[in-house]
Amino acid sequence: MTARLAIKGLNKSFAVPVLKQLSLQIAPGSIHGLVGENGAGKSTLTNIICGLLAADSADLAVDGRAYQPRSRSDALAEGLALASQELSLIETLSVEENIMLSSLPQNAVGIDRRAVRQQARALMGLVGLEQLTPQTPLARLSLAEKQLVELAKALAMPEDRIKLLILDEPTSALTSPQADRIHEIIKRRASSGLSVLYISHRLEDVLDVCDTVSVLREGVIQLTAASSTLNSNDLIRGMSGEDLLQHSEDEPRDTGSLRLSIEQLSSADFPEPISLQCHRGEIIGIAGLAGAGRSELLHAIYGLAADRRGRVVLSKSGADVLVDSASTAAKNGMALIAEDRKSQGIFSGKSISFNSTVAGLDRLSGNLGSILPRREQNVSEELIARLKIKCDGALQAIDRLSGGNQQKVLIARWLQSESDVWLLDEPTRGVDVGSKLAIHDQLRELRDQGAAMLIVSSELEELTALCDRILVLSNKKAVATFERGQWSKESLLAAAFSEHQGERALAG
Amino acid sequence: MFGKLSLLFEEFFIFIALLLLLLFFGLMTENFFTARTFAAILTQLPALTVVTIGMTLVLISGGIDLSVGSVVALSAGVIGIAFTVLELPLPLAAILGILAGGCAGLINGFLGSYLRLPVFIVTLGMLEAGRGMAYLVTDSQTVYIGASIQALSLPISGIGVSASFLIALGLVVLAQYVLTRTVVGRYLIAIGTNEQAAKVSGIRTEPYLMWVLVVSGLLAGLGGLMNAAYLGASDPNAATGLELSAIAAAVIGGTSLMGGRGSIVGAFIGVLIISVLQNGLAQMGVSEPVKRLITGLVIILAVLIDRWRSRDQ
Repeated sequence: MTARLAIKGLNKSFAVPVLKQLSLQIAPGSIHGLVGENGAGKSTLTNIICGLLAADSADLAVDGRAYQPRSRSDALAEGLALASQELSLIETLSVEENIMLSSLPQNAVGIDRRAVRQQARALMGLVGLEQLTPQTPLARLSLAEKQLVELAKALAMPEDRIKLLILDEPTSALTSPQADRIHEIIKRRASSGLSVLYISHRLEDVLDVCDTVSVLREGVIQLTAASSTLNSNDLIRGMSGEDLLQHSEDEPRDTGSLRLSIEQLSSADFPEPISLQCHRGEIIGIAGLAGAGRSELLHAIYGLAADRRGRVVLSKSGADVLVDSASTAAKNGMALIAEDRKSQGIFSGKSISFNSTVAGLDRLSGNLGSILPRREQNVSEELIARLKIKCDGALQAIDRLSGGNQQKVLIARWLQSESDVWLLDEPTRGVDVGSKLAIHDQLRELRDQGAAMLIVSSELEELTALCDRILVLSNKKAVATFERGQWSKESLLAAAFSEHQGERALAG
Repeated sequence: MFGKLSLLFEEFFIFIALLLLLLFFGLMTENFFTARTFAAILTQLPALTVVTIGMTLVLISGGIDLSVGSVVALSAGVIGIAFTVLELPLPLAAILGILAGGCAGLINGFLGSYLRLPVFIVTLGMLEAGRGMAYLVTDSQTVYIGASIQALSLPISGIGVSASFLIALGLVVLAQYVLTRTVVGRYLIAIGTNEQAAKVSGIRTEPYLMWVLVVSGLLAGLGGLMNAAYLGASDPNAATGLELSAIAAAVIGGTSLMGGRGSIVGAFIGVLIISVLQNGLAQMGVSEPVKRLITGLVIILAVLIDRWRSRDQ
């Protein structure tokens, strides 16, 4: 059988070789998984397939015919659609316009509004966005909703024209039920002949959804096999070249004195008041479906939310500080690592050193607020060594680092300012397995040193591995708290769904 | 900051461009390398230099200040009237003029940061309003001040440059230090790069965004004093379009209009390039329209080179 997409002898170098003599074949109607650590070359590969980057040398064929894309539009003309991890959406346009942007229906006078709305609404229903109005400006959507819009946009190509759908981390911001729904869609499409290249860090998903899986490491496909013959450990071994087993603790642990107390806190985005206490050496997980208000809660605690009511108090050696702004929070030891690294975390174009010291500059400055360059250099080099950040030195621009290493720089930023109350929103989203385990170890180490932590994650495995307690939010309400040892995946999920019964029936 | 190595290189790059420009005019005209040419350049420089310092800081913080030209005229008008009509001593008149600039900046800054109005629009409004106030203050007449103020812009014997020039140069050094070596400067760069991330990092952005416009206003006020000193009079029509020269100088010096990147020393070299270009072309006998055409092309060229260079990094 002729492969839908055949790649032979693909080479691509930037400063160093990224892809080496890579060969890959995707069969018609196959869902082909691709896994690899960040920096393994996955994004480079998809960019080449989609015409966004030129290969140094390559032999590509679609359905047996030679294919040499020079631009994204060549790829679209060939029927190759992409839903990218770096969303390709336009914030100022509406949801429907974004979905239909590549193929806006026209009539005699311009854009055929009615056709746009009709098609967009159908696609929104398909991916699970039926509750949104198609005219909503994209900027108002949550990250998870945007990710669904990106998928709907990729699926907007007519079914008779679309041959290969490339999904790069399509579910990284989604909750399990949302992801399941997306998986159903692609399985159904695949059974009618669509080929899918599915790239993800969620190994369970890859094994569950894909029929074939390839593992990419250091620019070379290490292994390609039917998913039924593989398990997660095989993939991890293939990606990292070693065995990595996540260790988790089952015994409840003792915690220290009260560090953070949240009393009747509410905000415009989180209207139901919530109270919560976090002690030294304690990690509290916050679980819930996307849109349950998890990020909104962290923002309110940190003092960033609009119309914020209630009290957040930081207690340290007997003295209490009332958190009334992000600046007070940061000055008194609180750290926020936001979900959206690009827009709320990193300073793009600036060095690792700049990024890692910006929250604690007062510790590096002498009289009159002068920054001491020598001290800054030493401190940032120490942080790089301590967190094992892979880079070419403290002056390298942060944009050049992989997602996992960027995240480590953000952790470094708050380590440098000696934070001991951490609010972490999806700390390992889009991060490769190796960095993920390193980040987990770092968080445990901080906990053991007496930090109080709140962690939001869509991956229940992450929460159950790290947390002492898990608070479950559902539809912007706190619905349940589980102590270590009392939870099960089922009970957590049931709580997350408890305020969504009506909607669940609809979605089902 | 120790990213200064690359910054130093960037400034080095335009510095070479400046030297090439000087060499070009030296070869093309007979009398370019004369004391008179440089005296002319140096007397015109200070006002544009101090205004450009403010503009560069505002641009780095992610904003823009379109009102500086009008604020220069307003400040000059206040100084002229305070000195001649109110008969205040000149130093006091000068302080009033600079404070008038600061007030305009305070209005810009408050509206822009605490009320979150777009700075582009607010300062565009101030560009009109400031000019209107300059006319009101001076009754639309040029106010003759005289020799006492001109002393500022005349070369000091033994040094060969004016007090205005020394002040401007000192402010360049001070502002560059603040920008690259202090927490305040670092915060301005952080806010201009990513305001949201700056907030999450615990930086209170509003005061910085307000005070950077106040500083720009104060520097424009000082520019008004220097302008009045150069002319020996307060001209309500003075400094029309100066905001564009200041933006051009900043951009030639490597400042990004998107915020987060720039250099005061670079902007100062940008000022020098513009001045040398103007004077050199005049000496070559190039007509005013062609001069403007060439200056415009140089600005676009500078942005092209900057784009190409930052892609290279």
